[in-house]
Amino acid sequence: MAGFFSQIWTVIVMNILSLPRRAWMSLAAVFAVAVVVAVLLAFLAMAKGFERTLAGTGSDNVAIVTRVGSQSELNSVLGRDTVNTMMTAPGIALDDNGDPIQSSELFVIVDGVKRSSQTQANIPMRGLFLDGFDLRENLTIIEGRPFESGRNEIVVGKGVQNQFEGFDVGAEIRFGKTSWEVVGVFSTGGSAFESELWADAPTVQSQFQRGSSFQTMRLKLANPGDVTPIKAFIDNDPTLNLDVQTEADYFASQGQALNGIAIFGWAISIVMGLGALAGALNTMYTSVAARAQETATLRAIGFSNTSAFAGTLAESMVLSIIGGIIGALAAWLFFDGFSASTLGATFTQVVFTFELTPELFANGILLALVIGFIGGFFPAWRSARVPVVTAFQGVE
Amino acid sequence: MKDFYLVLKNLTRKKMRLFLTVFATFIAFMIFGTLTAFQKAFDSGIELSADDRLIVLNKISFTQVLPIAYANRVRAVEHVEAMTHLNWFGGYYQDPRSQFAMFAVDAENFMEVFDELVLTDAQRQAWIDNRQGLIAGQAIAENFGWQVGDRIPINSNIFSQRDGRTDWDFDVVGIYTGEDPQTDTNSVYFHYEYFNETQSFGGDFIGFMAVRTSDPSLNEEVIKSIDDMFANSPAETETVPEKAFNKAFIEQIGNLSLILTSVVLAAFFVILVIVGNSMILSIRERTAEIGVMKTLGFTSSRIFRMVLAESLLLALIGGVLGVLASGSLITLINNAPIQLPVLVLDSSVWSQAMLFVIGLGFITGIVPAMSALRLNIITALSRS
Repeated sequence: MAGFFSQIWTVIVMNILSLPRRAWMSLAAVFAVAVVVAVLLAFLAMAKGFERTLAGTGSDNVAIVTRVGSQSELNSVLGRDTVNTMMTAPGIALDDNGDPIQSSELFVIVDGVKRSSQTQANIPMRGLFLDGFDLRENLTIIEGRPFESGRNEIVVGKGVQNQFEGFDVGAEIRFGKTSWEVVGVFSTGGSAFESELWADAPTVQSQFQRGSSFQTMRLKLANPGDVTPIKAFIDNDPTLNLDVQTEADYFASQGQALNGIAIFGWAISIVMGLGALAGALNTMYTSVAARAQETATLRAIGFSNTSAFAGTLAESMVLSIIGGIIGALAAWLFFDGFSASTLGATFTQVVFTFELTPELFANGILLALVIGFIGGFFPAWRSARVPVVTAFQGVE
Repeated sequence: MKDFYLVLKNLTRKKMRLFLTVFATFIAFMIFGTLTAFQKAFDSGIELSADDRLIVLNKISFTQVLPIAYANRVRAVEHVEAMTHLNWFGGYYQDPRSQFAMFAVDAENFMEVFDELVLTDAQRQAWIDNRQGLIAGQAIAENFGWQVGDRIPINSNIFSQRDGRTDWDFDVVGIYTGEDPQTDTNSVYFHYEYFNETQSFGGDFIGFMAVRTSDPSLNEEVIKSIDDMFANSPAETETVPEKAFNKAFIEQIGNLSLILTSVVLAAFFVILVIVGNSMILSIRERTAEIGVMKTLGFTSSRIFRMVLAESLLLALIGGVLGVLASGSLITLINNAPIQLPVLVLDSSVWSQAMLFVIGLGFITGIVPAMSALRLNIITALSRS
């Protein structure tokens, strides 16, 4: 038995050591696999980055109240009365004075100029009270100060400042006829809030002709994750046509928007993988043909045909893994941490960062292995059946 | 012709290798054909936009509204042929997640401004006469199974009726098609009056306006007249050509064409390496043979041409098969029940593909052809 394995091992080592003799053909196979893996990982990293940004935004401790069926903050409208009624709902955490911890907010769209393309794109502008800052996790003002109530001042998210022009602290910005001063920059640890501009809620109401209405309410939950008492309260009051869900659920559903990209990435990579597979098969058949005499000689001196099979299969898998690793490294080098922005569910730009997680890395290597296995299997089969008599003939 | 026979024989000498290289080329051109059709579909929104059409928006953002009073003032501007105003309704049918483009418009003027939408005169009149009537594009009507004569409820994810309901009842009175096969027919239009009288958030505002000018050369003049008219008012306007508006909107999604082009390039690169290598290998295997041919009196340039013809033929077979396959794939995608623009594989895709075929055949054949050209008979024969 030990002899059987040592035979296999000998042939594998022999095949791999002889790779430089077929350098160009082998490089072609490696290169093809590398490109396919890099393309797959680029798409997956894009979808993953978007999903993580939005998933990291929502908190389980906070409930978000929107008008029924509105799907996103942008479409929702809540009248002053509704906001007042909702403050009396059960299940909301109370502060030291016994008041509910909540934030009534507005969500409007303004234009900004994207640095990358120099084109106009939509930026979300949120009107809120300073209390609302406490409902965001990991919030830090990294430059300047928060806005003061009653003034045309904004604090900008770090993502906005990276992707758009003219949002430095101290800058004056015009939206239509109104002019605003940038007084600070905030970070929320990479979440989607960093794609927003924040300003004083009553000021936004007056400058954007919103009267006394709001769009959403955030409520701090007394029991994290538990919105049932609030839901029951809404169901019992026929004047309230509202949806309530945890902020985590709200953003998780928005994070699915780029899932189509991941599916597209897989489809393209599998089709391209078929092309690379043709390349791998080509390489391996050539390799088997070139080594036919060698293989037959080994058989003549007592090596099993299993060892010939294993040798060829291993050669193909090694080439593919090398290709897979090169492709994955290239994807990591070029795309990991790459910052981009796209149109999210609220018609506004969401700034996100490509993320190449170990799990995605494993997906890339798996694809390479599948190509290597299939690309090696059939040529290995042929190699195992080289007749011994070939050893005593000239090649071809 | 004799040479062609030899080229064919050379090509089919190793069936497995021929199959694999043709297959790799096939894949690359299938990807090329399909993605190019996608890119053209995305661009069609820009290319099909009318040169004489302008969009008037609130300067702050297209989501900010304008007073209805602006409509008549814009209509009176010189060189404005027709004008309609539009309000985004945020409509959905049954499933809140599948929102579609639905606008409340000034029905009487709408078809004057969007004259590329085709509706029979009877349906058009029926729409104008029926305040609760809507017209739907062919694509969306097929998607939801709507027929002329149906009465359907549509919800809004923004607006609600005065009694708190978020659904409105509509009569489907017309289904429009487009003049061009790529015209978008995924939108729904209904009467502004019906919207304005029933929705609950204060009335008399409009989303934006679409204006048709009497001649594209007068666009600049009209843009200036409109924007100057509302300068320094509480709602300033920004008037842009429809083409620019559509382009900006598509660009918001990100650089789609860059992504698609990179993928096509990557696919071509892979194929180039595989096919090129295969060609080099198969010529190298034939070194002795080429030596014999030269001895027999084949000129070097004739052999050069034969090798090049072989690689061109290889690329041509894979390329044609690949583009044909992408054609069937596109038909399949067009028939799938998803909201996508119409994909078309037109002659420009074919001619572009054939250019790539020639390029691919040339690049993969040139190195082996050159080495065959330079091959010295003595070296060739002694090498075997």
